[in-house]
Amino acid sequence: MEAKNKIAFCFPGQIQERPILSKYHPLSEDPFFRDWVDRAEKETGIELWKFMNEETEGEQVPLKLQLTTYLFSVIYFQRLLEKGWTPEILTEHSMGIYAALTASEAITFEEGLFITHSIGRLLEEEGALCPGMMASIIGLPLEEIQKIISTLDGYRLAIANYNGSMHFVISGEEEGVQKAMELALARKALSVSKLSFNTALHSPPLSHLRGKIRDLLREIEVRPFRYPILNHWTIQPLNRGEVKDFLSEEIARPVYWVRCVEKCIQEGVRQFVEVGKESTLTKLIRWIDREVEALSAEELLFSGGRDGIL
Amino acid sequence: MTPKDEMIEKMKRLIITRLKLVEMTPEMIDPEAPLFGEGLGLDSIDALELVLGLEKEFGVMIPDAEVGKKVFQSVRTMAEYVLDHQLKG
Repeated sequence: MEAKNKIAFCFPGQIQERPILSKYHPLSEDPFFRDWVDRAEKETGIELWKFMNEETEGEQVPLKLQLTTYLFSVIYFQRLLEKGWTPEILTEHSMGIYAALTASEAITFEEGLFITHSIGRLLEEEGALCPGMMASIIGLPLEEIQKIISTLDGYRLAIANYNGSMHFVISGEEEGVQKAMELALARKALSVSKLSFNTALHSPPLSHLRGKIRDLLREIEVRPFRYPILNHWTIQPLNRGEVKDFLSEEIARPVYWVRCVEKCIQEGVRQFVEVGKESTLTKLIRWIDREVEALSAEELLFSGGRDGIL
Repeated sequence: MTPKDEMIEKMKRLIITRLKLVEMTPEMIDPEAPLFGEGLGLDSIDALELVLGLEKEFGVMIPDAEVGKKVFQSVRTMAEYVLDHQLKG
């Protein structure tokens, strides 16, 4: 990348709240979106439209949230392109990689759906056999988080996300994460909250799933990228040949979001657009660097944000 | 305008600038409305930004989550906390 003002599209990981589509939301009347949801329902056998539109959320909530995250990201990506937004680079957080790969045309919409669903099912099974938990801790620096984890040695806790200088997600056994949340509050964290996962995602105990994920991906042919995707481990663009390794490794390795944003800024990115329903990444970017512009697609597309541009 | 009213206006501006709520004006913020969930719809990442803003711009610390919960109930509670702690400082 050259040192010029550039745009990065950011694909978020699993949303934390069910995105209820009010009848006033433009997507509720969008036939293109409805068609994609129908295709996702046929592929997965899961009633996703109901999940987004009815009062009860039913069962398999984490899996539904993962699929819904994917669907929102791909539709928002299309709508952003139609509005004239073009990214120089794509970034992704956690399971945002699936939609990022689809957006980059490295895989098809159906392949992205298959990967999201299949890995989601694996995690669901893992959660039933060996329940885990994830929690975000806000307001403590890294050293404090590390002390908490070392205090609870034996619970196999790990830092799952490096989201900001005072924002981390920890992952591990349920009891250990609960204790870590208590310790974090005692050490004056501003807030702690449990995330909508029932597995210890992005932590070493999930490394035994790597082989299964590789098997799932065997038939998929990764095509050349239309847009580069930044690998947050190496902070270099992800190579086509690395994709399957990345997908099978990432469930057991942390997300280095700060490093990813800093690399983009260093390479000339001045606008970040979060391609998803929520605005978590937008807020994290604002925390990492207040000088760059961080915008959410939801706001840009549907709330009249940046009228002058659109 | 009383000192409290002035501080309420300052808190509204702090929220708008720290959280980059470019579409919002101070008049749109109800000082009694909850900051989190319904109301302004802020979340814990926003709270961290406001903690930093209070510290940098007003020299007032939010020491922990318990105090944070009380302070960030509404714009009015934020203003009261700042007035109270600036005086003590």
